[in-house]
Amino acid sequence: MIDINPQRILTRYNVKVEKEMTPEEVAEKLFPVEKNIREVAKAVFEGDEDEVVESIQNAINNGLDPLNLINNALMVGMEIVSTLYDDGVLYLPDVIISAQAMIEGIEYCKERSGQEHEYKGKIVSYVVEGDIHDIGKKIVTVLLRAKGYEVVDLGKDVCVEEVIAAVKRENPIMLTGTSLMTTTMIGFQDVNSRLLESDINVPVVCGGGAVTQDFVSQYELGLYCEEASDVPKIADAIINGLNIGQLRKEFHKH
Amino acid sequence: MSLKRYNKMAYDDFEDMVFGHSIYPVKTGFDLEIGAGYTSAEVNYAPRPTAGESKEKLIVEYQKITTDVLQRMVQVGFPSVVLETEHVQQMTVNPSWGAEIAHEQKTIMEEFYDEYGIKCALRHTPADIRGGKESLDLRGDSYGLLLESFEEVASNGADMLSIESLGGKSVFDSSIIRNDLSGVLFSIGILGTLDVEFIWEDISKIAKKHDVVAAGDTDCSQANTAMFIAGGLLDRKLAHTLAVVARAVSAPRSLAAYEAGAVGPGKDCGYENTIIKAISGVPISQEGKGSTCAHSDVMGNLAMQCCDLWSNESVEYRGEFGGTSVQCWGETLSYDCSMMNTAIEAGYAKVFRDVFMVSDRYRDPQAFILAFDNAYRIGESIVKDGNDIYLRAKNAAIEACNIVDEGSRGQLELSRFEKASLAKAIKSLHSLTDEKDVFIEENLNKLSTMESFRPENYGY
Repeated sequence: MIDINPQRILTRYNVKVEKEMTPEEVAEKLFPVEKNIREVAKAVFEGDEDEVVESIQNAINNGLDPLNLINNALMVGMEIVSTLYDDGVLYLPDVIISAQAMIEGIEYCKERSGQEHEYKGKIVSYVVEGDIHDIGKKIVTVLLRAKGYEVVDLGKDVCVEEVIAAVKRENPIMLTGTSLMTTTMIGFQDVNSRLLESDINVPVVCGGGAVTQDFVSQYELGLYCEEASDVPKIADAIINGLNIGQLRKEFHKH
Repeated sequence: MSLKRYNKMAYDDFEDMVFGHSIYPVKTGFDLEIGAGYTSAEVNYAPRPTAGESKEKLIVEYQKITTDVLQRMVQVGFPSVVLETEHVQQMTVNPSWGAEIAHEQKTIMEEFYDEYGIKCALRHTPADIRGGKESLDLRGDSYGLLLESFEEVASNGADMLSIESLGGKSVFDSSIIRNDLSGVLFSIGILGTLDVEFIWEDISKIAKKHDVVAAGDTDCSQANTAMFIAGGLLDRKLAHTLAVVARAVSAPRSLAAYEAGAVGPGKDCGYENTIIKAISGVPISQEGKGSTCAHSDVMGNLAMQCCDLWSNESVEYRGEFGGTSVQCWGETLSYDCSMMNTAIEAGYAKVFRDVFMVSDRYRDPQAFILAFDNAYRIGESIVKDGNDIYLRAKNAAIEACNIVDEGSRGQLELSRFEKASLAKAIKSLHSLTDEKDVFIEENLNKLSTMESFRPENYGY
């Protein structure tokens, strides 16, 4: 076997730039001070669904309003997770696990209050017709829910008719579509045309294996997204009033 | 057909493994022999989006692709080439489309062979169309259609048959993004293996009937999904040490195709193929630095170490400054093959192999476990319990983790996160039962509430 010094031929940048503190140590500094809220936020961070429900029960027993706990405890915990992910301290599975725990918590809070929670906005997600590869959509869906959006998930292999009907019915702030293959991604074109025919100007956020920025840019409503973690940021930008042109300027990276 | 389980290694020593040579070479196509002392490029391509609008457009697209590749090969003087047509869905759903395209491609290849004597062969890879909207339907009506597609391409020009089968995918997808190692082991090691066995018994029969080659499968839908999610060094979507486990377990899974009658060359995107070559001695196709047109990986040179075909994974057919994309990538691959073949002729093959391997060996734990010496170790752990599809998968996972752990005490640098993730994986794997039936029952119970999981897909 050839004996070499690998440091002269490659650089493990992930080792080089790794943060000094562990995720738990960073999070500890970010958890809210109030005990009841802190316990809920911490349970979300740890992704423990049972612990989330138990801590909510305790908080309600101590007089806190279940609906307020959604924004003031569950979402706070999730925000810490998202921040740490954005800062490169946590990994995606940590976000997924925490998001699942948070969603459980939201359902429990809604059940206890008997009222509906107000989401930041509604989004329709789907995988194009002829394509059953949906792990990207699953990730996007969880990340959006983690950021407080309501997601209407149409699933995979969804025909254009179904997408258009869902947009008309749900009136979302945006549509997210994924496609793996060159011959299925053409489905974005049909969705774009049908939406325009109906005078619907909802942004269509497209991503997935074969999809490129050049391809998506051909369509008036198209917005290319390379990283799943950018999708909630796009949703926030839409809420803040950015139009397609401004969104492209902000999120088209190439 | 009964399954031929592997209980010992085909190679006595990992040092005997090298590119361009396999223990059981495969003759196919026009005068081509794979793994018989030289390497060949395997050019892969995808039609432009609008080509899928009709059968006529698709046929013309593949005629152009085939002609372009072969023209470039003879223009630059390359002696051999393989073309792989990975079906777009329409070609498999309508078996006559795939048949006509295979026929047209083979006709063009024959013309070039007759005129120039270029050794060439055609691999067709029908799309796994068994993925339903709500859940996989692996043994239902679409399976019959899939086999019809294999029949049609085999009888109309395809020399080699392959597939990227989907068994276990829905379970894998939900497991991998939740760090659920037991689920990863179950989805690839058990469900994937059962499906590969099932489908390859039938594909092998079709290949035999039409006197073509049952080439092999790849765990693209699972281990490559893990690799792609894991991404580059700075991506934080999945611990690379977890992707290592998925890759190790994919080896016994894809091995099942050869146990059910396939003979190689294994499909390009099966990064597990070095392990499989060590166990079975079949020739393999691999992709690495020549597939950056399709995706990035962390082992672009290392993947060449033991390849018999050298592939670009896939590139959309379009114009580049240097010709069409298939010409550019076909030429790049062929120059790599020319370099490897020169090394073989000059007696330097093992030196080149070692340089390819060592240049990426410490780049990432995923590369480290696939370095041919380590791949061989994983192979040994698989054949040790070759008759038990659970134990061999578990062994592979544990051995891969041990290899990374040992490596981290040497030249393989791991981040603290990777070390912690590896320690968790080792602990989790050691906590699993040694009993296949118990493991399967535990996982079936766990999945009983998952709507998209259908046990009948796997004979349960």
